[in-house]
Amino acid sequence: MKKITGIPLLDINNHIIGKITYKPIKHSLRQDFIFVANGEKLESGYAAILVTKRNRDPKGTTILCNLEDIKYLNTGDVVSIEPNGNINVLYKKNSVGNVLLVTERCNCSCIMCPQSLVTKEDDKSPFIFKIISLIDNNTQLLGITGGEPTLIGDKLIDIITACKQRLPKTKLIMLTNGIKLENFDYVKKIVMVQHPDLTIDIPLYADTDTEHNNIIGANGFYKTIQGLYNLARFKQKIGIRIVIHKLNYKRLPQLAEFIYHNFPFVFHIAFMQMETMEVAKKNIDILWIDPYDYNEQLEKAVTYLWKRGMNVSIYNAQLCVLPKNLWRYTRKSISSWKNIYLEECGKCDYLENCGGFFASSLELHSQHIEIIKKN
Amino acid sequence: MSYKLLPLRFERFNNDEIFITNEVGEFTFISKDKFEQLIKCTLNPQDETFLNLKAKQILTDTDINPVIEMLATKYRTKKSFLNKFTALHMVVPTLRCNSNCRYCQVSRKDVEAHQFDMDKSTAKKVVDTIFQSPSPMIKIEFQGGEPLLNFKIVKQIIEYSEWRNLFKKKDLEFVICTNLSLMTKDMLKYLKKHHVYISTSLDGPRDLHNKNRPLQATDNSYDILIEKISLCREYLGHDSVSALMTASRFSLERFKEIVDEYISQGFNGMFLRSLNPYGFAKRDRRMLGYTMEEFVENYIEALDYIIDINLKGTYFVESFASLLLTRMLTPFSTGFVDLQSPAGIAISGVIYDYNGNVYVSDEARMLAAMGDNKFLMGNVNKNSYLELFNSEFIRSLIRSACLECLPECSSCAYQSFCGADPVRNYSEQGDIVGHRPTSEICKRNKKIMHYLLDLVKQGNGKIEDVFWSWIIRRPIENNVCITSS
Repeated sequence: MKKITGIPLLDINNHIIGKITYKPIKHSLRQDFIFVANGEKLESGYAAILVTKRNRDPKGTTILCNLEDIKYLNTGDVVSIEPNGNINVLYKKNSVGNVLLVTERCNCSCIMCPQSLVTKEDDKSPFIFKIISLIDNNTQLLGITGGEPTLIGDKLIDIITACKQRLPKTKLIMLTNGIKLENFDYVKKIVMVQHPDLTIDIPLYADTDTEHNNIIGANGFYKTIQGLYNLARFKQKIGIRIVIHKLNYKRLPQLAEFIYHNFPFVFHIAFMQMETMEVAKKNIDILWIDPYDYNEQLEKAVTYLWKRGMNVSIYNAQLCVLPKNLWRYTRKSISSWKNIYLEECGKCDYLENCGGFFASSLELHSQHIEIIKKN
Repeated sequence: MSYKLLPLRFERFNNDEIFITNEVGEFTFISKDKFEQLIKCTLNPQDETFLNLKAKQILTDTDINPVIEMLATKYRTKKSFLNKFTALHMVVPTLRCNSNCRYCQVSRKDVEAHQFDMDKSTAKKVVDTIFQSPSPMIKIEFQGGEPLLNFKIVKQIIEYSEWRNLFKKKDLEFVICTNLSLMTKDMLKYLKKHHVYISTSLDGPRDLHNKNRPLQATDNSYDILIEKISLCREYLGHDSVSALMTASRFSLERFKEIVDEYISQGFNGMFLRSLNPYGFAKRDRRMLGYTMEEFVENYIEALDYIIDINLKGTYFVESFASLLLTRMLTPFSTGFVDLQSPAGIAISGVIYDYNGNVYVSDEARMLAAMGDNKFLMGNVNKNSYLELFNSEFIRSLIRSACLECLPECSSCAYQSFCGADPVRNYSEQGDIVGHRPTSEICKRNKKIMHYLLDLVKQGNGKIEDVFWSWIIRRPIENNVCITSS
């Protein structure tokens, strides 16, 4: 998520969460709002006030921010403010890439994980409930992610329930490695929430346990598979995600075959270009393959599934790297705050259609990036 | 490094390769050398073949229980046709017929022989029996004779079924199998109102159709049929009418013409069927019959021709190949009664004769018409649903109609794609278990499956596209890129 640096004008003791507003709010409702002041006299009662100039008379929590950064914030966005003044953007009202990061712990240690994980953390759920209470109830899509969300156990059920009650129109996509879903009763609890539009996306990196487990650094393959079956028994909407790298690209067609024969009930399958951050960056030597160099396998896998009537997508890929017959499967899938394009992309006629890059790809990306002209 | 083999079946496919399947019909081809290594447990775990076989649960070098669990899950899916019990209910409103088909397999009766009509109270009992089936899907198919000769009973069955379904709320569908010659606009209005599909018979171009299927009133049944097909389409919509062909001796060497006829009549698919040895087809087999080898040879030629037509851009399905391919290439079960194990007789499909007699299959009542009541389940006027469907007779019949335990079938590499047919075994070979090496059906199925597998193995992407367009019933689409928009 996007971070903005701020300077607290008075000491702050706790994390503050609030919803951005540019217009003054009735006094009785102010406690949930963070007011972006524009030179006027500051009033009390807001969770915090953001200012761009040092104010002689700060009221409560007042944070001094850079004008450019403030422009990033719109009415309805939800942010948290750390005691040191840093502002984390938790939710952008105009984005479809919002996620609830419910834990940073994980029971896998994937060789290409783009996050740094923690082993111990405080319960984040009160914080998550607060966010849910603040975000706009017309939000189209919200992700639930981690770490591994299922590690918080029944709190996850409470979070999904809160989403159902507070955001009944919002589609939820939960990312989980599915290992904990091996427990049928746990799956039952998730499904019994009866969220109106919940998709559970689960990664599968290889068609055999040895290779998959080697990639995730845990003995999870058959547990994940049991998890998929448990979800299917409830007709839960399921997606499968495959991050592609040097350790698994060769058998993508066989993996597609494996998925079709064993999990034909899944709603969606996404093949994803790797994000080279954190753990992935450290292991880059054993992981990196130019995405252009696995086109052959990717094309076989994607068309194999499409022919069979499966719903298949390619995430995080640049059009110029892909053969044209695969363009139709691409989605703009990178969260906007870390979605970039290269300088030369500005000259490309297909910029609008292209998913672009992860910010981390600036240093390392395919050697086959090129400007494409129409006709 | 050691590994264990899981249940597998295999067959020498050609000089160099072994065809190998797992318990649910997922298959691969491996060289003789690799096969030898496989069974001696000396395959290298880094080997591509090893990984392919492991991913298909043919061997495992790690856990066994979760692998069995995966196979079991797929096995349940493949056998899911069993969950719902009998969905197809064929009804014979009359045995009278105005056709004069040379190969009539049902031993039709004279147009004036009204004693072969179903009566009202039997019709009601038939529907009452049908609606006791636990299946959430009920398809009532009117057979004959010519059902239009007793249209009032057809109407009674449709209306009474609809009334019963107000309470049962099943997915109810009607099909009427008719030569169409007696079809009128009023009948069509009625059929439209009640959403009835039409299945008719078209055996080929005019001369061939007229030779196989003359009417009693005129030899030129073809012109009447074509005229009526277009009338049906006008009233019911283009896709409400489908047609079947049956190949007689006169049809051999003419399959391409038959395909062309179907296409020019605007059908987007056909079923190339061989003659069943019942009724006149059996009586006159010297004149009408042919060997299975002859049929398969013609079938394959026609199949190649049909594939070619698809490759040239016309979406046209051959249903038997489509069925087999669905069984070979997808994890799903199919509803076709003849290709199931346990056999689909009685438990997937059943037939109610004009007099209320219930038989396990259409072929069983054809046999009965020839004087052998071996497969009579009972009569709707005398027996309850449970007496009909839960009898020791049906139980023992189904028990001995599982490929998994039939001699030769049990180890056949094509088992998962095939089906048991005790009625056919009985009528051809004198007992329900049958003798595979001399079975005509086995010969036909194996040859056609081998041919299809060979095409799949060759890996021609375009042919594969055609097959998948048949399986998922979606015409091949030109690859649309964003560029073209």
